[in-house]
Amino acid sequence: MGVRVKRMRTTGMLLLAVPLLFLLVFFLHPLATVLVRSVTDAQGMPTFANYVRLFDDPGLPRAAMRSLVIGVATTLCTVSLGLCLAMALHRSRLPGKALIRTALLLPMLAPSLVLALGLVCLLGRNGLVHRLTGLPTDIYGFWGLLIANTLYGLPQVVIIVSAALARTPARHYDAAESMGATPWRQFLDVTIPRLRFALLAAAFLVFTETLTDFGSAVVVGGSYRVLAVEIYGEVVGQLDFAMGATLGVVLLAPALLSVWLARMARRRQDTGDASPGRTLVPARHPWRDVALGGISLLALLPLVGVVATVAYVSVVKLWPYDRTLTLANYMGGMPDGYGPVATSITMSLLAAGAGVLLVFALSAGLRRAPPFIAKPVQFIASLPAAVPGLVLGLGYVLAFNHGPLSGWLYGSVAIVAACSLFHYHAQAFLTMQTGMRQVPEALDDAVAVSGGSTFHVLRDAVWPFAAPAAISTFFYLFMRSMVTLSGVIFLVTPELGLASVTVMRLDENGFLAQAAAYAMCVVLASALALGAMRLLLHVLKDRRHVA
Amino acid sequence: MHLRIDDIAKAWSGHTVLDGVSFDAGENEFVCLLGPSGCGKTTLLRIVAGLTAADAGRVILGGRDISALPARERRMGLVFQAYSLFPDMTAAANVGYPMRLRRDAPAKIAARCSELLERVGLGGLGARFPDELSGGQQQRVALARALATEPAMLLLDEPLSALDPAIRGQLRSEIRLLQRALGIPTIMVTHDQEEALAMADTIVCMNRGRIEQTGSPRDLYERPRSRFVAEFIGRANLLPTAFVRDAIPGFLERRPPGDEATYELCLRPEDVVIENDPRGEAVIEDTVFLGNLARITLAWRGRKLLVEQPGRSALNRGELVSVDALRGAWVCA
Ligand SMILES: Nc1ncnc2c1ncn2[C@@H]1O[C@H](COP(=O)(O)OP(=O)(O)OP(=O)(O)O)[C@@H](O)[C@H]1O
Ligand SMILES: [Mg+2]
Repeated sequence: MGVRVKRMRTTGMLLLAVPLLFLLVFFLHPLATVLVRSVTDAQGMPTFANYVRLFDDPGLPRAAMRSLVIGVATTLCTVSLGLCLAMALHRSRLPGKALIRTALLLPMLAPSLVLALGLVCLLGRNGLVHRLTGLPTDIYGFWGLLIANTLYGLPQVVIIVSAALARTPARHYDAAESMGATPWRQFLDVTIPRLRFALLAAAFLVFTETLTDFGSAVVVGGSYRVLAVEIYGEVVGQLDFAMGATLGVVLLAPALLSVWLARMARRRQDTGDASPGRTLVPARHPWRDVALGGISLLALLPLVGVVATVAYVSVVKLWPYDRTLTLANYMGGMPDGYGPVATSITMSLLAAGAGVLLVFALSAGLRRAPPFIAKPVQFIASLPAAVPGLVLGLGYVLAFNHGPLSGWLYGSVAIVAACSLFHYHAQAFLTMQTGMRQVPEALDDAVAVSGGSTFHVLRDAVWPFAAPAAISTFFYLFMRSMVTLSGVIFLVTPELGLASVTVMRLDENGFLAQAAAYAMCVVLASALALGAMRLLLHVLKDRRHVA
Repeated sequence: MHLRIDDIAKAWSGHTVLDGVSFDAGENEFVCLLGPSGCGKTTLLRIVAGLTAADAGRVILGGRDISALPARERRMGLVFQAYSLFPDMTAAANVGYPMRLRRDAPAKIAARCSELLERVGLGGLGARFPDELSGGQQQRVALARALATEPAMLLLDEPLSALDPAIRGQLRSEIRLLQRALGIPTIMVTHDQEEALAMADTIVCMNRGRIEQTGSPRDLYERPRSRFVAEFIGRANLLPTAFVRDAIPGFLERRPPGDEATYELCLRPEDVVIENDPRGEAVIEDTVFLGNLARITLAWRGRKLLVEQPGRSALNRGELVSVDALRGAWVCA
């Protein structure tokens, strides 16, 4: 017996092998390169000199301190505002929740530095407010960075907290109500305890992102230089790769820690019950709604205002001096034409397409894999969540600009696509695996006794359940790749411009209107992708193919 | 076709799940694998289907050893407990699936699909998707799909246990009628003894990876060989030898020789006869009205005894009764 079982296993192994090979070459290998580079000298001999050098430069400890301060401040602001927004969405009777949801989409459609760009255009020394009122505005530095980072992190916090809120069964509130708890006590005794871990996870996510994101820091940080900017300076400015790698390892530590903590948090939380029961309808409570509405407005007005400013700036003649409206910036006014946008789209399509295939194969191969294979593979596939884009990008430069693969890869769209794909690999993998977990085992067996092979299992049993996940994964990777900056910044060459990088370069050189035009192109492309995803998922829900 | 299961053994990571299981299923026979949860029924069925490899033993179908054949070449029709229909294929497409894999002609497939759907009482519902069908209808589609390629055997793994009682009863008799009409040997897994009694020609009663007893439903009910079978199928009063010697010595005659502790007498509740008798040795502790029968608990010589009487009982709590037994069976303790 066991012929079929053996054949199935071979196919399963093959499904695993290809994506694993890619993970090895395009993720573990560059990551290891960074680690090795940080502890070797120019001759490749082991040394800790790089770490000692960290303290020679007084700028670095200061930058680290600033990173920490901005990280904590951003985390506090983002989590508290995010909690209020999630409460407004799920525990209030506020009208216009769809508007809140739409506004929260904005930061996800644009590279992180676009918010900073808008902030500068609005409140910079030469910003719109100054131009209109004559007030001496100067947003550069700590406060600008805080606002930009907070706005950027807000949607992610709202998503995480909302998920936890949606999981809290209505009967807990019924029970508290029947025992005479006031709404405030219900918030403290029912809502908050169930949100503890979600808040923790969200906090760590925001903290890590703030620590490792450097787009906003470059645009609005001014003289408030944080660690991420220093790394960028070491590598791009002084071509000191060893120092860059060492700083990258320093950034890796808190990122790893926070991902690990978030994992622990999730594990503890999942033990709660998930039985849905009655859907919760918030009670009438005008003061609560007024308060939540006020806070939502406070958080979302700047968000919308900043993005609207970018849109506005992209259609003026010569920012900020001649504000005549014109479409010139879009019609040949962009220094590199639509080239970078096209490259970004090509790269994102490549990352998304390859990503879906790899992640599908990986999840499918893992379905029937024994635990001693599944566990480590799962770990490696989720590890990218703990690696900041900056570190991964650095690894790519170190690993692929020289060496056996460099001839093919250096300056190619493929290498940039690989970088952004593996930067966002963990979330894509998680989505796909969650989708595949819904395939009932009986369906596999039904195919097998009907005379089908592994191919038929994948096509007829797995795919119908995995299709929505595959669509989500594709567009997730596409949208992320469109806006990613920190990873790919080291990989672009003069011939290979990306839209998000171009925005940064133009901003550095003071061409704000053109930068804004490129930014709006990215926003538009991402928004179209989002719309397409929603449409596809909707169609898929209704459509069935009759075979 | 005749199926022979020969000395099958299986362990999952060192833990024995099947331990030398052998039985036969004759032509046209309906066999129920009955046993408590976790006793290895599903594992055995999957081994027969070729979905799981046994560690030892053989599966012989129609005189041919099929142990090494992959599932797809065994020609078995399989029906699962639930969730085995392809969600985005219509009922008809689901039924036609195995035929499409065999690359039958589309016209032939279509004809066979509607014939099969008709057979399972779903004529006209072929265009529905699984989520537009009730649980019972979904299982009918699964049954039709299992029959699509004219399998040598039908294997059913608790096909009714996810359904509510009314539909379960109805489907029971329909499956049985269909099986008789097609004359197809069938193995059904169940942990519901009532279902096994109602449907099976032969019951294979399993416990912890071993077969406790094989026989007709009547055999197993009236002549259980072990305490496990006596208690698992129907209700039983199990009386130790010493008690029988004092209370109903007439039964000692047919006791197999052996130690005091090796055998116990199994009295089925309906085989106990009680009569109102002021000088009786038993007192009525409780009566439960169940409509068509009454279930009575007695205290008799320091033991509890369960008695069932047809119709409405006139006995009340605290009344004294005399006790006798019509028949009983000695079982291994
Ligand atoms: N794939 C597997 N891997 C490891 N152990 C398994 C596997 N399948 C079954 N087992 C174990 O084998 C034992 C028997 O399982 P099986 O499914 O055959 O029981 P069953 O009699 O069908 O029970 P139920 O009535 O609950 O369906 C159980 O202890 C189960 O945990
Ligand atoms: Mg079972």
